[in-house]
Amino acid sequence: MTDMKKGPVSGSKPVAHVTIADRRQFLIGSAGLLGAATLGLGTGLGVRRARAQSRAEISFASAAFFGKETFGDLIKAFNESQDRVLVKNIELPPPSSSTEVYQGLVQQLARRTGTPDVFSQDVIWIAGFAAAGWALPLDEYFPEDKRSAYFTGTLNACTYGGKLTALPWFMDSGMFYYRKDVLEKHGGKVPDNWADMATIAAAAQKAGDVDFGYLWQGKQAEVLVCDAVEIITSNNGAILAPDGKSSLINQKEAVEAIQFLHDTINKTKISPQDVLSWDEEPSRQPFTSGKAMFMRNWSYVYPIAQDAKASQVVDKVGVAPLPAFPGGKSAATLGGYQLGVNANSKQREAAIELLTWLSSTETQQRIALNFGLAPTRSALFQDEKIKTEQPFMASLEKVFTGATARPITPEYAKVTLALQSGISKALVSGNVQAEMDALADQINKIVG
Amino acid sequence: MSAAATVSGIGRPRLGKALPGALWALLLLTPAFVSLASVSFYPIVNGLYLSLTNTSLITQENEFSGFANYVQLWGDAQFWNAWWHTMWFTAASTILETVIGLGMALILCEAFKGRGLVRAAMLVPWAMPTVVTSKMFGWLFDGQNGIINYILLHAGLIDQNINWYGSPDTAMTTIIIADVWKTTPFMALLLLTGLQTVPNSLIEAARMDGAKGWITFWHIRLPLLMPTLLIAGLFRALDAFRVFDLVYVLTGGGPADSTETLSTLSYKVLFSTLQFGYGSAVSTAMFVTEGIIALIFCLYLIRQIRRAQ
Repeated sequence: MTDMKKGPVSGSKPVAHVTIADRRQFLIGSAGLLGAATLGLGTGLGVRRARAQSRAEISFASAAFFGKETFGDLIKAFNESQDRVLVKNIELPPPSSSTEVYQGLVQQLARRTGTPDVFSQDVIWIAGFAAAGWALPLDEYFPEDKRSAYFTGTLNACTYGGKLTALPWFMDSGMFYYRKDVLEKHGGKVPDNWADMATIAAAAQKAGDVDFGYLWQGKQAEVLVCDAVEIITSNNGAILAPDGKSSLINQKEAVEAIQFLHDTINKTKISPQDVLSWDEEPSRQPFTSGKAMFMRNWSYVYPIAQDAKASQVVDKVGVAPLPAFPGGKSAATLGGYQLGVNANSKQREAAIELLTWLSSTETQQRIALNFGLAPTRSALFQDEKIKTEQPFMASLEKVFTGATARPITPEYAKVTLALQSGISKALVSGNVQAEMDALADQINKIVG
Repeated sequence: MSAAATVSGIGRPRLGKALPGALWALLLLTPAFVSLASVSFYPIVNGLYLSLTNTSLITQENEFSGFANYVQLWGDAQFWNAWWHTMWFTAASTILETVIGLGMALILCEAFKGRGLVRAAMLVPWAMPTVVTSKMFGWLFDGQNGIINYILLHAGLIDQNINWYGSPDTAMTTIIIADVWKTTPFMALLLLTGLQTVPNSLIEAARMDGAKGWITFWHIRLPLLMPTLLIAGLFRALDAFRVFDLVYVLTGGGPADSTETLSTLSYKVLFSTLQFGYGSAVSTAMFVTEGIIALIFCLYLIRQIRRAQ
């Protein structure tokens, strides 16, 4: 240590110092020059291109989806299709890291610099972005008559405070998977209410056709909220009152629905206790290996079920809308990414042009064919090309018609954490009413 | 280092004359100080400041709110729930790891064939990324196809499969088991180095006086190992207190909040709801608790050292 300390103090040979310093100086100098050169080159080119074509430059940010092409390719196609707008693609993490995508978007939008001009957002963020004033209301660009082409459920999710603040893009939703072969043995009719579903499931389980009657997702995670929204809505209940200022989760309808989920494990015993720690994949595995009769899950399961390498139930799986309670209507939790325009964008017209193009019939068709992401325009489900290339997707129109938004509130992030914890407690303890009362209190404090 | 030493012998100090030694020392410390301050002090101080504000990226508020966050924290059942879980996890895993690690260290201290190989192999669990460990234990304790259920069922110890991660009674215990499996080798290694510093002459002298193995351990090895044991325990406790990956991968805090720890809670508050103010208050509470744990260990350690002298 002492050597180190003394070294520079007493100084080494001055000559050595000079050479090293010289070399360093030289290196720094050349690096700087190189940098400057590339910079100059870059900006020079940029300026020239911009001047030559005088296109409005905007940016587009989205979670990165993959398929036969990427969103980058999509943007490239837009840039080549016209000469008024030039879009720069900002790639965010994939949708599986949605927390990171959310953070990235919030940080950029909160700066209010107008970047990104156009962005895609998970349905559950729409209200928050709108309430913060980051999303441009789109009513004047997309009046009522232009909206009717989209599913009502997605439009509802894109509306906050009576204003359309996002434009539907592509969607997914919860759906009811069943085993055609086992169902044949037990009546052959797809159950449309929960009680019938439980009866058939129990019968199939008793007959030894399957190990499990019904699989769903009870892990304390976002997917539990999705499962809960479906079953509560199918009993004419709701998590939040229509004004979004109070919770209805301790009302009779919601409590009955959650009680039904609890009963599937403890009373009717059509679900294993394991569903309490399962999210999508753990519940998918027993189903595609032929151990279960019914399952609630997203659309991604179908291609896996049809893949002989991963599935024992090829061609034995059917999909239908989820059952409902008597007097209720089937509901499917809406997922997917919708489009928004940055309220601080300095290039509104250009942003709207990109938005319109991205959500157009042609682009939605392209996304359906190349990414396997379902369109939000209902007419596309009759499209011949989609019907031939994505027959499963085309069959989902009925399911998507019941698409229901999760609670629409700018405080969704807090509400969902409370829901995950409260519903999980109710399912574990079985004191549904008491836990729902406590949960309603908690949610009222958040949204009230 | 040696080059500097030889060189310094030849040349005469040039700048040294112009600057007094102390100033030079301070000047040379500056880079280290600045880098340390920017990556260590500044974030801590900023975190403390944030915890006194209502900063939220969503509501765009960013005002000083005094101790409002801490008042809220005091009455927040979820925070205390997570606090108790974290304390339980820390205590249980540290004690188990210390006891088992000590046993392993005592065995590895003895001379036997292939000792080097065993010592190296022992470190494998510790060298594994925690996420891999988590996934592995996820499968081991899987409610349907897990080998643990299979073994227990066939040994007649349970009469039906247990869903280890789906029941609040077993979820935390399972996570503790995973942590013990992973980190015990680390404790064993630390304690082994401690054991090797115990002079053999003392043990031999004790044997001459007729002391048996247990007595030698209790009166000679253990007291001399105590400082190492305490320091290793301190390291482990502080590390266990921050448990995140195991919980995040295996249960996400569920079921019914039964595995929520302070790290997962503060992650949710900070990064899911983007309440930076309140989230910082949770983190600060963690920091304070860790400080108290460290203080207790240190006081005990000092007492031990004084007594030894």
